[in-house]
Amino acid sequence: MSTPRFRSVIVLAAVMVLAVGVLGAVGCMPKAATTSSSSSTPVKGGTLSYYIGEPAAIDPYNAQETEGVQVVHQLFRSLTDFDDYDATKLVPAAASTWTVNADATVWTFHLNPADKFSDGNTVTAQDFIYAWNRIANPNTVNTATKKADPSQISYHLAFVRGTDDYGNAPKGISGLKALDANTLQVTLKAPFAEFDYVVAHPGLAPVEKSLVEGGVDYNGSKVAFGEMPVGNGPFKMSQPWKHNQYIKVVASDTYYGAKPYLAGVNFMEYKDPDTAYLAFQSGALDFSQIGTGKIKDAESKYGDSADGYTSNPGKQVLLGAENSVYYLLINNKISVLNNLKFREALSLAINRQAICDTIFQGSRQPADNIVPPGIAGYQPGAWQYAKYDVAAAEKALADAGYPGGKGAPQITLAYNADGGHQPIMELVQADLTKIGLKVKLNPFADFPTYLKALTAKNFMVGRLGWVADYPIIDDFMNPLFRTTSSNNYFVFPNKTFDAEIDAARKMTDPTQRLAAYQALDKQIGDQVPVIPLMFYKHHHVVSSRVHNFIFSSMYLADLSKCWISK
Amino acid sequence: MSDDIRASEVLQGGVVGPQAPPEQEPPTENLARRELAGTRTLWGDAWYRLRRNKMALAALTWIVILVAVTLTADLWVPQHFGMPNAINTATAEANQFLGPSLGHPFGTNQLGQDMFSQVVYGARVSLSVGFLAVAIAVVVGLLLGAISGFYGGLADTLIMRVADVFLAFPYIIFALLVLSVLPRDFVTGSILPTVLTIGVLGWPSIARVLRSSILSVKQNDYVDAGRALGANDGRLIMRHILPNAIAPILVYATMSVGGAILTEAALSVLGLGILPNNLSTMISWGQMIAQGQPYLTSSPGVVLWPGLAIVTTVLAFTLLGDGVRDALDVKMKD
Amino acid sequence: MGRYIARRIAQFIPVFLGVTLILFFITTVLPGDPVAVRAGTKPLSPAVYKSLRHAYGLDKPWYVQYVDYLGSLSPVRYSPKSGLRFPGPDLGVSISYGRPVIAMFEETFPYTAELAFAAIAVEIVIGIGVGIVAAVKQFSIWDTFATLSTSILVALPVFWLGVMLQYLFGILLQQWTGGIFYLPIAGASGPPFADWQYLILPAVTLASVSTAYAARIMRSQLLEVGGQDYVRTAQAKGLSPSAVLWGHEMKNALIPVVTFIGLDLGAMLSGAILTETVFNWPGIGNMIYQAIGRRDYPVIFGGVSLILFIVLVVNLLVDISYAFLDPRIRLGSKVEG
Repeated sequence: MSTPRFRSVIVLAAVMVLAVGVLGAVGCMPKAATTSSSSSTPVKGGTLSYYIGEPAAIDPYNAQETEGVQVVHQLFRSLTDFDDYDATKLVPAAASTWTVNADATVWTFHLNPADKFSDGNTVTAQDFIYAWNRIANPNTVNTATKKADPSQISYHLAFVRGTDDYGNAPKGISGLKALDANTLQVTLKAPFAEFDYVVAHPGLAPVEKSLVEGGVDYNGSKVAFGEMPVGNGPFKMSQPWKHNQYIKVVASDTYYGAKPYLAGVNFMEYKDPDTAYLAFQSGALDFSQIGTGKIKDAESKYGDSADGYTSNPGKQVLLGAENSVYYLLINNKISVLNNLKFREALSLAINRQAICDTIFQGSRQPADNIVPPGIAGYQPGAWQYAKYDVAAAEKALADAGYPGGKGAPQITLAYNADGGHQPIMELVQADLTKIGLKVKLNPFADFPTYLKALTAKNFMVGRLGWVADYPIIDDFMNPLFRTTSSNNYFVFPNKTFDAEIDAARKMTDPTQRLAAYQALDKQIGDQVPVIPLMFYKHHHVVSSRVHNFIFSSMYLADLSKCWISK
Repeated sequence: MSDDIRASEVLQGGVVGPQAPPEQEPPTENLARRELAGTRTLWGDAWYRLRRNKMALAALTWIVILVAVTLTADLWVPQHFGMPNAINTATAEANQFLGPSLGHPFGTNQLGQDMFSQVVYGARVSLSVGFLAVAIAVVVGLLLGAISGFYGGLADTLIMRVADVFLAFPYIIFALLVLSVLPRDFVTGSILPTVLTIGVLGWPSIARVLRSSILSVKQNDYVDAGRALGANDGRLIMRHILPNAIAPILVYATMSVGGAILTEAALSVLGLGILPNNLSTMISWGQMIAQGQPYLTSSPGVVLWPGLAIVTTVLAFTLLGDGVRDALDVKMKD
Repeated sequence: MGRYIARRIAQFIPVFLGVTLILFFITTVLPGDPVAVRAGTKPLSPAVYKSLRHAYGLDKPWYVQYVDYLGSLSPVRYSPKSGLRFPGPDLGVSISYGRPVIAMFEETFPYTAELAFAAIAVEIVIGIGVGIVAAVKQFSIWDTFATLSTSILVALPVFWLGVMLQYLFGILLQQWTGGIFYLPIAGASGPPFADWQYLILPAVTLASVSTAYAARIMRSQLLEVGGQDYVRTAQAKGLSPSAVLWGHEMKNALIPVVTFIGLDLGAMLSGAILTETVFNWPGIGNMIYQAIGRRDYPVIFGGVSLILFIVLVVNLLVDISYAFLDPRIRLGSKVEG
């Protein structure tokens, strides 16, 4: 081997090294980060980068999952809104005032005359009627695809008269009436004294018929409404949705409320919260979820928020409780599980604190009730068996007829393998094994498969999470425990509960109503129809340049109140 | 495996997993020595040459050690390091993410479990998956490849077109769908579904390799001679054709074991791998990575150890496969 | 040549039908209902449920759905009213998102292509480069190093490599340099980086295994070619080693490497589920994977059809270019195995 042959190789290698080096050096040079000064007076301007997953929809029509709802909440305002600081309270939104009749069946909403869509048109009662009919109609056609595409959030309107037999009533929802341009009257089919909480849902916002059906103007061409919805909220879209990448909004100058300090918000889409948090650490995001396992690290780096919901520089980690609960379902059709003492034993045997601390590093808290702390009327410890007490669990198991687990059939724990539930189930398995039971994990490949098994009652003990749509006890009692509810997968029939829910719904006196719901909550807890495990908490972090960032227990951020320091 | 092996699948007619490309080493001085040594069988020669290949020998040693460790694990691992899947919720938080120590050579994971014990028992699962999946692929592949190559005609066309279909199917999507379809009672706490899925998806490549060697062997005189002597088809295949076609299959299978291990790990990461059970010692390396990934930034060890275990094991099978190929002097061409 | 291409396309048809038929059959036994999944655990009224099932043809038997699906792939439409039209294939509407599947692919495919070409560039530069060095310096320390490192690369689980690279270049590097030097680790765009910088880590991860193969093939081909008569003749003529390498050896040794890289490109263009998932890359692999989890059948079927089509086209192009590179191969007369 002689030298010239090497030379070419060396040259080639040198070129390669050089190329890689240049590539690397340039690639590693992020733009200098802006230095933040601590100013406590609001500053105008700046664009906030906000983490979300790809929403299923940002048209209020299909605003159901958390990601889409967060965006819809910036673009739209419904009749009422949840108070940012205390979600159990309502504040006026599109409606400045509202009244209800004596038996809680007829609601009258008086719209704010200053409320305008971002295209300048005033919001009228007709816009609500159109939006709600669009949601209730099972044959609504998607104007972009020309296919029937009914809304999946029609259940919010199930309270309203004329939504059950919508197909037979071609004139639309009979319970809706525009008394004048600014007055909307809603007649319910059964009394419901907390309907004003329902209408706060971001999905029930007003939309303009002409834009939904004709499209939205953008750069001289028409864009489908679902890609660039026009609403009455503090922000408006600045360009159509760039799917799987971002949604960009800017402050709306027609908003009836106080104008946002921010010039705009970029909702950056990430598939996975862990990568979002890495992006946050690299400075690309102002708001992110913190991946499991990184909470403690984040707390030491960024500091805990004072109340768990508000972030200011130095106090940036949000760990406030959310209005949602993680629970184990029990299939009451199976004889051993139909034994109350046995259910008590299961519930008492689980070390909830260990799950919260070990797996979630404190970003969840043990559940002592099915109703979370963020709901008005939450009673700590109301579910007496929702606690960790091995001795009591062993006694209950013996009382159930299986001392030390002898003779008890094997328990299987069903879950979907695609959602990070496995370690939770492993800990539950370990605890139940400790009181003498034989326990097997029973994972289903993914959520669709699992859901199918739940519907078919093909499980013994399973898991689910419940996220409240409205911050009221009713939104736990009715969907989970009513005999006919589709979420009553655990087959827990008790007609007296149904009657008690209906009775509470009629009560227009808030104190009396709350007491009725609280009694019902306790009564259901005594029967252990499900096993509450944990309450979800925020596990989010905000960058140090953002002031007064509020992320409420309803999983909604009010971005009109925060500002970015220069 | 995944995206990354698809190219080699296409090139080489499909693989169970990563496989080395065709390579030929120049003849070594072994030939001369072989002459001196006098009468040796083909396998004796191969073994002789394999022993002289340091890399292959190191790889073989590593595999033997792994097998020995997994076979004897019950005798010493739980006693010193604890059961791999044991969880004590009362002490889990205090014991999580411990650094390496004498009692926990690899430290502990997010649930306070001993990672050394997990890696050791994980080897049992990974090796079983690797060997069994390849065994299934080989059995099915040999059967269909033999029919295809020996009889030709309609059977050949049919089998080869079905093989095309299998190879054209995006591998990981197929595996995801199949694993979603299998009944869950059957899937739980067992390596069988994963093994079956990986194995069944691997047969076409084996069938193709066998078919092409049969096509080349079939023309040889000794086959005609056997046929003239009245040997039936089964005997011809078993006695004359298979022994001559076995070398490429053996090389192929050795390398595929590593591929199957990688595939299981990838399926675990996507949520469809083998599951732990605190009543048994079953744990998979892929599962360890998948479950540990959220804790990577604060405790990199939870992902590092199982990852290294996979890399060294798969590497061993690749190098051993290289060695076997050189020793048997197989030209890997399709 | 024309006949060859026609025959390849004819061979593709049964494979395509076979794959899609199996796919459709699997979906009949696959548990889970896309409409129910869309609603999650929230209630769905029976009327809405029925309307959605009907809109997506889910209320028809699977073989009718299959025939409808094949019809929708046809680029030509005919109806007595509007006559013959060429609207192109219509892959239907996504059940989860209510958007045309074609539009979703138009958004995601450019990212997959970008990533694939970047990975191929890495493969060409580093794979071929290392292969040449290893072959030219056979038995040297460089050769051993190349052999060993390519073996290790082949043994690396892709997702593990991806996660480790994220940790090293995104987190550790940032800590060590006090936030001055580091790489973006997830996503495809956004400040503080330029768009192309987002490509670096995913491209390296995706290229890793293939680069190792390319290097090994390059090396073994050069060694094989090096022993052949024409090369010896060239050396005997007194040509310099580099002239022999670039003028004679490379020409023939490159053929299998080019083949490999071409086929690899086809595979990468059809989406890299693991790499795209780890790096949150908005490509088609990621999209199909998500669609499986939602039972979004139009997206799954459309995606798999697209993948099959890309692989067919790329393989065909590779075969044709093969004929140009190697005059010994005459496509028209080549007997297919």
